[in-house]
Amino acid sequence: MDSISTSVARVGSRSRLTARVAALPGTDKALLALLFGAALLALVLGLVGGFVTALARAGALAFFPDDAYRLLTLHGVSVFFYWLYLIQAVLMLVLAAAENGRGLALRPLAWTGATLMLAGFGASEWISATGTPLLYDGSPELAADDPRSVGFFALGYLLLSAGLVASAVSGIATVLQPRLRGEASEFTSIGFALFAWAGFLVVSAIAATNAFLPGLLWSLGAGPFPADHGTEWHILFHNLHYLPLMATVLVWYVLSEQLTGVKSIHGARLSKIVFAAYLVFVPPTSLYHMFLEPNLSESVRVIGSLLSLFVSVPTLAAFAIIVSSLEASARAHGATGFFGWMRGLPWRNPAMANMGWAVVNMMLGITFAFVLIQEKLAPMLSDTFFVPGYFHFFAVGVLTQTFLAALMVILPALGGGTLWRPELLRCMPALVTIGLLVFGAAGIAAGFMGVPRRVFDIGYDGIAPAAWPVLMALVGIGATIFAIALSVSVYGVVRTMLSLRPSLEQAPVVDWRTGSRGVGAAPAWTGPLSVAALVAAMYVFTIVAFQLIQSSPIIAIGGGHGH
Amino acid sequence: MKMNEELWLVVVIAAVWAVLAAVYALIPSLGMPGYVRVWGGGAVLFLILAGVLVAVSRKAPRG
Repeated sequence: MDSISTSVARVGSRSRLTARVAALPGTDKALLALLFGAALLALVLGLVGGFVTALARAGALAFFPDDAYRLLTLHGVSVFFYWLYLIQAVLMLVLAAAENGRGLALRPLAWTGATLMLAGFGASEWISATGTPLLYDGSPELAADDPRSVGFFALGYLLLSAGLVASAVSGIATVLQPRLRGEASEFTSIGFALFAWAGFLVVSAIAATNAFLPGLLWSLGAGPFPADHGTEWHILFHNLHYLPLMATVLVWYVLSEQLTGVKSIHGARLSKIVFAAYLVFVPPTSLYHMFLEPNLSESVRVIGSLLSLFVSVPTLAAFAIIVSSLEASARAHGATGFFGWMRGLPWRNPAMANMGWAVVNMMLGITFAFVLIQEKLAPMLSDTFFVPGYFHFFAVGVLTQTFLAALMVILPALGGGTLWRPELLRCMPALVTIGLLVFGAAGIAAGFMGVPRRVFDIGYDGIAPAAWPVLMALVGIGATIFAIALSVSVYGVVRTMLSLRPSLEQAPVVDWRTGSRGVGAAPAWTGPLSVAALVAAMYVFTIVAFQLIQSSPIIAIGGGHGH
Repeated sequence: MKMNEELWLVVVIAAVWAVLAAVYALIPSLGMPGYVRVWGGGAVLFLILAGVLVAVSRKAPRG
């Protein structure tokens, strides 16, 4: 029988992170609460827009094309930009403040950043609701006769970018404070990750300015029409792939220690190298986004294909470090069985459940991401429903669930309240994943069969394949399941944020810091074997994809689309 | 001054970004001037951050 002896943290005990968050100055807490609230509002808006969009794609609701594209625009803008970037900004600030132990440095700059980001949020939502729907990439070509919409849309993202820069500078100054006080001679692994992540936020703001400033200038009559927007968007979009993944892995590091007491058994040095690797691999792996450009030379395609293989190396390396550290610590506490050690993890804690299921979703998402970025497959699949089919594993299953896990740990400490109904919340990530599996399986299959990505009426006067509406109905069912489950999680987080009633009951954690057997006495294979299984799955699904597409009677090549 | 691991990691990042920016700048047939601006801007940023690390090391009180 598998067994593990773990000491469970006592009721009311606080970790270093939560104790430091609880002790933050009131003005910092107010800023963080404001940004957490805005991020959750963006998530709710995006969730509603996405749910209605999915029902429309399933044929359960009918909209005029402009309304449908407006919904899609509001969904993408709210979730992909404002939820993911507001939450990253505030998590960077709160983790930096906890690293410092004395709150935020350059506090006025942090408030300025928040003001700019919220102004951008307002501008983007308003113009998305009232102007020409430009989808989340804000392509000026969709509104060549409506410069006002292009200008305000670009202004929203530019304000968000400026706010991210101000927040990042405050975050960098904050993590440097212990060194300036002489309390440390180097960063912790988390401190270095925050330093690099904040730098990456600034670079992404540069990329956003590069993509959207021309549109603003054109709308003001101060520049030419931004004909190259698609290419500039690809550059920004590439950064926007990496940045939240880096944030996710950093949150996994923080939460692993918070929930189990375990730090990397491989040492801070390796963790720092892995976090730096995110930034080292960002530019060389960017070429695969250009595979849809018809005039891209063959040599660039070959080089891009080879370099794209490195795209997930940092994430998988970080995953292997975290899992092997947890497994080795569990075995040091007496855990046995190949996977039996996992039973000792504090699964009754909703943050642990969210993080665990986020890992499952990451494995699924990465597998199909590698199918999509194959140079021969990308042009055939990028304008199909394959794309939303696979990327919701990332956007919902990995990123959103990971950031909600962080909120479930941080918000009770920040506001002094209690996590809302942990027994209910811990069930939601599995339901979200079931919904995503239905949505993803049907969506990916629909993509292989050619269902277009952004076309709402796919009847084509009755000549569309009979399987299309069936698959899209399944997409709607899956979306309904995960939207309901995610809504419960979001509701729980909001209730937690608004809770003012402290409770003696805390969500359970375990303490694996010191084991009786000693870390390393028993081998820890789960991490490396998971990566090996993932690579095998990538090969299998890539072969399946080629077989399926080659068996199609007609192949249409898409082009020039930002996926 | 001895270069610690954090400093050389940031310098490596800046170097990789600078090389990529140079490739896009020196091969106009790639036709992607935006990459020069973004990767070049990133290289400059990470060089500045490396400078910040050096400055903080020098300024910090020694125990």
